[in-house]
Amino acid sequence: MEVNQDYGLPCGRELETVWENLDEVDEHQLDCVHCRTARESLLALRAATQELIDEPDPTPPDLVGRIMSAVRAEVRRGQMLDLPAAEPGSVEVSEQAVAVVLRYAADSAGNVRARRVRVRKVGVDSSGAAQVEVELTLTTRLGNTSGADTLARVRELVSAAASSRVGISLVSLDLLVEDVYEDGE
Amino acid sequence: MTTTSVPLDDATLVGRARDGDVRAYEQLVLRYQGPMFRLALKMLHHRGDAEDVVQEAFLGAWRKLAQLNDDKAFVGWLYRGTTNRCLNVIRARRPQADVDLDLAESPRRDTQPEHAAQVSGQLAALDDALQTLTPQQRACWLLREVHGRSYDEISEIVGANPTAVRGRIARARAQLAEVMKPWR
Repeated sequence: MEVNQDYGLPCGRELETVWENLDEVDEHQLDCVHCRTARESLLALRAATQELIDEPDPTPPDLVGRIMSAVRAEVRRGQMLDLPAAEPGSVEVSEQAVAVVLRYAADSAGNVRARRVRVRKVGVDSSGAAQVEVELTLTTRLGNTSGADTLARVRELVSAAASSRVGISLVSLDLLVEDVYEDGE
Repeated sequence: MTTTSVPLDDATLVGRARDGDVRAYEQLVLRYQGPMFRLALKMLHHRGDAEDVVQEAFLGAWRKLAQLNDDKAFVGWLYRGTTNRCLNVIRARRPQADVDLDLAESPRRDTQPEHAAQVSGQLAALDDALQTLTPQQRACWLLREVHGRSYDEISEIVGANPTAVRGRIARARAQLAEVMKPWR
């Protein structure tokens, strides 16, 4: 490695070589005072670095709260969708709120995790509910051999959630499997 | 509503956050605020500045989530935002230090007293020695040795080629080892 040139010890050995072989001392290093000194310093550095890793500075307790209130202040609500209303007046729900419900519905199918949800309003049905097209991107568990069954279950759960939990009418649902995940990931 | 008890992978959370799912983003914040804060604190040696940098880094990442092409690259991207903001803060500080070195005393040393009391002499020496490195060297060394990032990842984070990164880390290591000597 060309970058080591500047850090040669008087005995001709590179400091980087000593660093890389910190746990395997060869014969030269046993006799060489330069290597021994360098090795001791590097061992001290390694020990102090480990301490730094093992005893991390505590994170300020309110940091997450600060970050999240800044983020929430920026949240765009996205397009609003009409819901059927029994009373006069109108009820709306944001696309993002719909996306959250549909994602959780897809997750509950098991062996899949919902990622992106695109909700597109295409019209309004006779009851006044928004008609939407939904595109749902999924990742599936590695080793899930019953992919077709899983997707059928996702379709069923998402459709049910759209009509019963939100009150919108799903005119189409595209499911895209884009990735796999392993257990424990 | 079904809740998932298993922690979700980054890419899934990023995908959801991009859709505007604030809770998913909060999971990412909880997951990475610690490493980002520790990096910023070691870079800046000032808790208040470090907190500000981390908050800005997460807010900036949220705003630009749509521009992230690879959801799995989130953490590297976050490291880049945090590192760059730290370097900017340091750059902005310099003129002040030049005004009056005696009066501009110790803006970067306010480690918590109770925590400081626990740290060993070696760790304190390393902490001091870190401040003698150039900001670029310090960033590269911390990312490699404390945060365990690969040379390629670091070169992405700091925007330098891997050879330059290796050079900075080697130089940092030589300098730090030099300072560690008296503490043996």
